[in-house]
Amino acid sequence: MLKTILKRLVQLVPILFVVITLTFVLTRLIPGNPAAILMGPQASPDEIARMREELGLNKPMLEQFFDYLIGVLRGDFGRSVSYNRPVLNLILDRLPATLQITLSSMVLAVLIGVPIGIFSAVKQYSALDYIFMVLALVGVSMPIFWLGLMLVLVFSVKLGWFAVLGMGSLQNGFWDVIQHMVLPVVCLTTIPTATFARITRSSMLEVVNKESVKALRARGIREAAVIWRHALKNALPPLVTVVGMQLAGAFSGAILTETIFSWPGMGMLIYSAVFNRDYALIQGAVLFIAIVFVFVNLIVDLIYLMINPRVSYEGGEEIA
Amino acid sequence: MSKKILSIILLAALMFGALGGCGSTVANEPPSVTPPAGGQTETAPPAGGSAEATPAPDSGQPQSGGVLKLSLPASPRYLDPIQYTGTYESQIIRSVCDTLVDYKMDLSGIKPNLASEWAISEDGLEYTFKLRQDIYFHPGQYQDGRQLTAEDIKYSLERSARESSLNRLDMLDYCEVLGDFEVKCVLTGPNAVFLTALTDAGNSIVPREEVEGWGDDFGAHLVGSGPFILKEFKLDQEAVTVRNDKYWAATPYLDGVTFMYINDHAQAANALKTGALNLATSLQGEAVQIVRDDPNLVLDETAGLHIAYLYMNQVNGPTADKKVRDAITMAIDREDLVAGVYPYGEAQIASVPLPPGSWGYDKSLESEALPYDPERAKALLTEAGYPDGLSLKLYISNTAFRIKMATIVQQYVKQNLNIDVEIIPSEWGTFSEIASSGNADIYGMSWTWYPDPFFFLNKIFYSGEIGALGNGAGFKNAEVDKLLEDALIETDQAKRADMYKRVLKIVMDENPIFIYGNENVTDGSTANVHGYIQRADNVIVLVSDEVNVWLS
Repeated sequence: MLKTILKRLVQLVPILFVVITLTFVLTRLIPGNPAAILMGPQASPDEIARMREELGLNKPMLEQFFDYLIGVLRGDFGRSVSYNRPVLNLILDRLPATLQITLSSMVLAVLIGVPIGIFSAVKQYSALDYIFMVLALVGVSMPIFWLGLMLVLVFSVKLGWFAVLGMGSLQNGFWDVIQHMVLPVVCLTTIPTATFARITRSSMLEVVNKESVKALRARGIREAAVIWRHALKNALPPLVTVVGMQLAGAFSGAILTETIFSWPGMGMLIYSAVFNRDYALIQGAVLFIAIVFVFVNLIVDLIYLMINPRVSYEGGEEIA
Repeated sequence: MSKKILSIILLAALMFGALGGCGSTVANEPPSVTPPAGGQTETAPPAGGSAEATPAPDSGQPQSGGVLKLSLPASPRYLDPIQYTGTYESQIIRSVCDTLVDYKMDLSGIKPNLASEWAISEDGLEYTFKLRQDIYFHPGQYQDGRQLTAEDIKYSLERSARESSLNRLDMLDYCEVLGDFEVKCVLTGPNAVFLTALTDAGNSIVPREEVEGWGDDFGAHLVGSGPFILKEFKLDQEAVTVRNDKYWAATPYLDGVTFMYINDHAQAANALKTGALNLATSLQGEAVQIVRDDPNLVLDETAGLHIAYLYMNQVNGPTADKKVRDAITMAIDREDLVAGVYPYGEAQIASVPLPPGSWGYDKSLESEALPYDPERAKALLTEAGYPDGLSLKLYISNTAFRIKMATIVQQYVKQNLNIDVEIIPSEWGTFSEIASSGNADIYGMSWTWYPDPFFFLNKIFYSGEIGALGNGAGFKNAEVDKLLEDALIETDQAKRADMYKRVLKIVMDENPIFIYGNENVTDGSTANVHGYIQRADNVIVLVSDEVNVWLS
């Protein structure tokens, strides 16, 4: 187990190097001059040129890249041009707000999606199965932006139940925070819930019809125990993978959700970084998400090991 | 079988539900971030006199109390006056700080503010200001709310002139303190726009101790002498201010003002409906209609200090030929274009490259603009050597207004001239780079700034601005250059107005630019907001010697 972890950590190095290189190159491929954006439309060419110099954008590309690389190794992700603050501070400042809605929505999605998937598998071809699966299809296909505005229209404007936007504050009581959280969380929960329901259903279906499960039934074990204790455990691996991927993907969903709801998290940070051609900030945020992604994958693999000790990462049998 | 039917019915019902919902939202604005484009709106004019805003229906006596929640369409970053880049930032700065002089609310001219009076030397080089003696800064970390004196004027203005990369006061050489409440500003050369420049939020007066004490963080802890004290600035969220009881011009009725950042116009309108917001600024698109239709909300519209246009390449490509430009101009029906682009009445039709609000504007010039005349347009294009039409690239930023405009223009020139226009929308950064490069056949954008014609005509038509976004089309005319240079030195406003009118005449003859509209300044508010007066330059004044907003 320890060996696996260590090996994965060593593998991180080349992955992150590639991520750094790619984001560096890609951000510079986006057309647009950060100096011009920073100075506004009425700036003269001289002024823009001076600002470019100030920002260090006149240095050779390779020099800029190595400066950045050395900085990252030292834990210095550079300085955001548009916020005029260290990138790492900005990201760490915003992270809690994003985690607040992404983690809540992930937990909710698992709590709702998995039971629905199990139910649909057990009662395959029942009316409810159809209803759930059609809902799931709609859920995965729903554009977040549209969904967000519709939710606001119905639940804030018409019914007045929840806040339109913003984050709320504990100073105004716990309810204030919940009121502000509900719609963004619902928005972020839709797609994962639908995905989890579908994955759970299909992988449960595969399991419940296996000989081993039939044997359990034959031995007179209660149906509930068969499903929850034995079948579910065997159906878990694909679900764990998808949960891991959705969790990392929630960060991208957060970009849209946070923008609609003026939720001051990382999503909004990335959105404005791209608009302002804030190279250091885009790179920092992408790098950060890459690290999260890699670690979530590592954790997923470790959970695999726990669910199914026969899985080996040392070669030999691999799980597809 | 019945289950299958059930599922089909369900699916159909859901899809219709979804589509129905879509239908009502397609017209919504995309999440258009107001680009820094035409961003730095500063101070503006009476906008043709018709710019009077509809004040909220007043109900009785003004009363104290309440926090006004106001939305800005983009996120304020830099509140240090010398660093701000967008209008939305200047709105906050204006509530916290004061400038030496300011525009009158009706924008008919400049009025005293911190300076009670001033005199200009014969040669136009020296401006001597006498200050009010009842002005105090807000208490802060590094001073306890001391009196504002001539030293502060010298410090703040020289700081703006020397340290700001935004050059909002580059005509200032130095200031000399003549007494505790008297200061002389000496310019590098005679410059007629000095007083206008002083009205900019970027030239607000700030206390040195706070600036030096906070260093780079001064913006987040901005201190001035304005009607509201900055309490808390949460980046990408809100700026919270509270009443300054010692404000010299008037005691604010409001307990405070909270400036919120709301990126999406539809969301701003929604927040107004629920009362989460009192005043939504710079509304656009369907959000305007939502506010207009709601009996509990008030829509304020004022013709803005703004021109929307297509600028045609003067150096390269077919549009370097005046005949081609004239043909394109005459092939587009402005009236139809404005009606199509602004279905919610967000703009008025225009054809002169200066908005009616500017004192350099001359209404008689509107009739000199080339009229819609497809026949003559076609003949001109044939004369220019393109009887079968041609292809052009039109660059715009990807905001709803520009995309609609480009699409309508595309149809007109295709139909009337067989010109194939390829529309290339991109976000602001990309657009501004291409537009200023001189490589765009045509670019469509808008311009908005101070009411002084200098800030339109010099920026857009002076040859020294070639390579900047203003004159990205490369317009160059020796006579125009000379007139613009002379008008900047002349201090007599009547003479300047005359020079600018001649510039307009030449420019309109050369026809480098197709002007089609003046966009309105559009704000929505809840009915309990009283005493708010909208200014054509999009500057929000909540408390001054003329205004004092209150909530019922």
